[in-house]
Amino acid sequence: MLSARIFDALLSFFPAPFRHEYGGEMVRAFSQELQEARQQSRWRDPAALWLRSITGILITAPQEHYHVIKQDIRYAFRTLRAQPGFTAVAVLSLALGIGANVAIYSLIDAVLLRTLPVKNPEELVMLTDPNSRGSNTGAEIGERSLLTYQEFLQLRDQNKVFSSLMVCQSAVNRVQARVNGGEPEQIEERLVSAEYFDTLGVPALMGRTLGPADGPKPTLAVISHDFWQRRLGGRADALGGSISLRQATFSIVGIMPPSFFGETVGDQPDVWLPIAMQPEVLTGRDWLHDNPASLQKTTWLQAFGRLKPGVSLAQAQAEASGIFQQGLSAYYTSAPTEQMRRDFLNQQLRVRPAATGASGLRREFGQPLTMLLAAAGLVLLIACANLGNLMLARATARTRETAVRQALGARRGDLVRQWFTESLLIALAGGMAGLGLAWAMRAGLLMLVSESIQLPAAADASVLAFAFGLTLVTGILLGLLPTLRTLKVEATAGLKEQGRGLTASAAWLRAGKLIVVGQVALSLPLLVGAGLLVRTLENLKNVDLGFAKQNLLVVRADAQTAGYEEPRRQALFDRLQDRVQAVPGVVAASHSYHGLFTGGDSADEVQVEGFTPRIDDERGSRYDHIGPNFFSTLGVPLRLGREIALRDHAGSPKVCLINEAFAKKFFAGRNPLGLHVTQLYGPQRNTFEVVGVVANSRKNGLRGEIEHRYYVPMAQPIDVPRAITFAIRTAGEPAAVIAAVRNAILAEDPNLPITQARALTEMINQRMVQDRLVARLSLAFGVLALLLAAVGLYGVMSYGVARRTSEIGIRKALGANEGKVILMILRESSWLLLGGTAAGALCAFGSLRWIETRLYGLKANDPATFAIAALVLAAVALAAAWLPARRASRVDPLVAIRYE
Amino acid sequence: MTTDTPDPESLLPLPVATFHILVALADRDRHGYSIMQDVAARTDGKVRLSAATLYSSIRRMLEQGLVAELRESPDPESQDERRRYYGLTSFGRHVAVAEARRLTELLSQARETGLIPNKL
Repeated sequence: MLSARIFDALLSFFPAPFRHEYGGEMVRAFSQELQEARQQSRWRDPAALWLRSITGILITAPQEHYHVIKQDIRYAFRTLRAQPGFTAVAVLSLALGIGANVAIYSLIDAVLLRTLPVKNPEELVMLTDPNSRGSNTGAEIGERSLLTYQEFLQLRDQNKVFSSLMVCQSAVNRVQARVNGGEPEQIEERLVSAEYFDTLGVPALMGRTLGPADGPKPTLAVISHDFWQRRLGGRADALGGSISLRQATFSIVGIMPPSFFGETVGDQPDVWLPIAMQPEVLTGRDWLHDNPASLQKTTWLQAFGRLKPGVSLAQAQAEASGIFQQGLSAYYTSAPTEQMRRDFLNQQLRVRPAATGASGLRREFGQPLTMLLAAAGLVLLIACANLGNLMLARATARTRETAVRQALGARRGDLVRQWFTESLLIALAGGMAGLGLAWAMRAGLLMLVSESIQLPAAADASVLAFAFGLTLVTGILLGLLPTLRTLKVEATAGLKEQGRGLTASAAWLRAGKLIVVGQVALSLPLLVGAGLLVRTLENLKNVDLGFAKQNLLVVRADAQTAGYEEPRRQALFDRLQDRVQAVPGVVAASHSYHGLFTGGDSADEVQVEGFTPRIDDERGSRYDHIGPNFFSTLGVPLRLGREIALRDHAGSPKVCLINEAFAKKFFAGRNPLGLHVTQLYGPQRNTFEVVGVVANSRKNGLRGEIEHRYYVPMAQPIDVPRAITFAIRTAGEPAAVIAAVRNAILAEDPNLPITQARALTEMINQRMVQDRLVARLSLAFGVLALLLAAVGLYGVMSYGVARRTSEIGIRKALGANEGKVILMILRESSWLLLGGTAAGALCAFGSLRWIETRLYGLKANDPATFAIAALVLAAVALAAAWLPARRASRVDPLVAIRYE
Repeated sequence: MTTDTPDPESLLPLPVATFHILVALADRDRHGYSIMQDVAARTDGKVRLSAATLYSSIRRMLEQGLVAELRESPDPESQDERRRYYGLTSFGRHVAVAEARRLTELLSQARETGLIPNKL
């Protein structure tokens, strides 16, 4: 008997249906065989029988499992094919939901999560701020964002904790170049130190990378795979080719593998050049040496390294900071005051893991993308609720079938497995279609963000895993509701239910109504959020800049890079001004150093005549250099005094304009005209007489208060500007005169790099890219959620009406007119709507504080937006309920009662 | 009611266990243990079906329509009412014949090539 029990236990390897069908027979047959074997011999035959039986089980059990799964899938397919409408709606809505989630996740993955395509990325560390880009001139305090080349050399030569250390230009530069002596074209370069490729541990696909053995001034270049394919046709003789840019000609020695883009996510340089060639590439400046006399450092490099074995991050940071601060102490010996020296020395390095590399995109898009993923997740949840509801309705309709199958011996386990097979099948189809959609959506999203951002390819194990996981969760969610329902059906109870299945359907209707309330509750926060963000976008579009932004062209030319020494620049700027002014179609033109909405700015400490700052007062002010008639060109009104004019030249007394904010802060109640403002930086001092006050105007940001600011003449500079930015009023579309203005500048000097030439409106639009992305997508999600909730409500109310046909018939027979019936149905829908809206409003109040920082010109609890969202929701929901209500009102009492 | 009976050839070649079961059921209906005994006896114990192989085969053969489960025990004397008996369907018989013919042809081909003598 023990043997039989052991054999029986072994049968649990088989799937339950098989075991139930044949288990008893198999045990009986085995026992008889065993009995017979024992009669043959004491050990040999029974042992052979056991061996044979166990082998048989191990071979056949997997086959039986496969068979059961295949059967379930076939059955599910048949069921789904029999209801093509349901299947199509289900697959399509899941495809949309899953697609949106996967698309956004793939961007999050690319921007935030993915590790760099380098050797052992998890071993990489950074000594600088991954979010920093560009160059800073001046002094920083606190945690250092970027390094100078001298600082890097000190670290590289003195440290004992890094096995390798490298630096590279934190931003890529677009420069004009000739490839193999061809026509000039724009390429993107990045300057890198000799240790760059060794530290990243990536060898060249063809040729070689740059290295320390290349000598002090190597004119060598490594190109990207993309550039090789796109520009050089993927030819093998690309190696040895030449790239001439600005003052040097480089020969191509290596081609990188296709996956390699470097250390910064979002950048895709065409070419990597030796940092020692900086003076020839970024002409007109020396960023390889710090100049202690000026107290101004130009920081422009990101630094990466690998730790020696056994060295911890903390040890590395302690040593790196030590070397860095010794360097600072040696550099800032000549600081004019002890306080300044203390400030300058108060800088630290932070060493942090750098597996995901650097990226300016993270700070910009990290939060919006996470927010959008949450919204997309909610939409998917609402879609799931809808489908769950539909599946629940199907489960209810199939109560009888379920009961019959149970009575015929199907066990609950089989039925549950069946439901899950169906829902997983739907989810899988939706997931696969969603993956395809995600690909298209991602491309659309990237287009919406910017054409200049290059992200690595979409398909990646993590994205696929996310899509699969999401599909699985969706499938389980979908299967859950009907399963719970199936478990509740008692075989006999189900059989008793005849015809319209009253008890089960009433239970379903209750559950269905609850689900609709939940859907409405989830939709409202999405709608309110979308409303807030769309209104924010509108507010930003309508921000008063202080001048008209239409018909304004911004053009920037870089004199420093073209090789103009400081003393020659003012004359060049004057000549350029004359040429630009003369271009046909130009109504008025003026210029400044930083220009409008270019992102550049300057700020220093100021002393203002007659103003005594309190201890905690801010002593700094932003400033810019401007040309004559700058504000009248823009159309910013003059409040007092006069504008900067031609007579304010190098030899005349130094003058400045201030804006109203400056006047209010430093001259509260006093007449500022004739008083003086002094700029201070280290030993530098420049005193200007205030000759005019202009109205406040925006210069870089659309949000926040307008900063106090003063403006000095280009001809009386604080530091000689290295570039000039024109503000050009045009008669018609600014785009129409771009070419003419460009030609006018190049006619003065064909080597002048024109780094910017765009309509101001376009530049401001570019600044609102995040706001636009977030507003448009949340609106899309909000509308989707709204429609899904409406479909849910429609389904439940239709079902309710169908169930109550006879009741409605009797009411009508007793004298209720059509209007009354419609009202009755709408009243019921209103209760669901009201419940959902109340719950949704609570959710919205709780969750939308999260997006407060993204809003402009309104608060997260803005009552108007809440009201509009609730009204839209109510209108759409009632429209969805109207259809079944009207159907109910047309019930013919005679037909309904006869049906009864 | 019409059922579409598949072509017997489409199931060939049969798995060894399946053919043995068909042969065992050729002369009379049997229960599972009896099939196992018959196969062992006919092959001098060289082929022994394990219970798992037998019932897995039967499950498949039932679905393929090769065998059918009998409603009543063919042996009125049987003490054991729980026993389940199986019998050959006419389709099963066709398939068994087709398989036997296939094997015979194979055998005669082997003979023609001189691989095996004419009389074994």
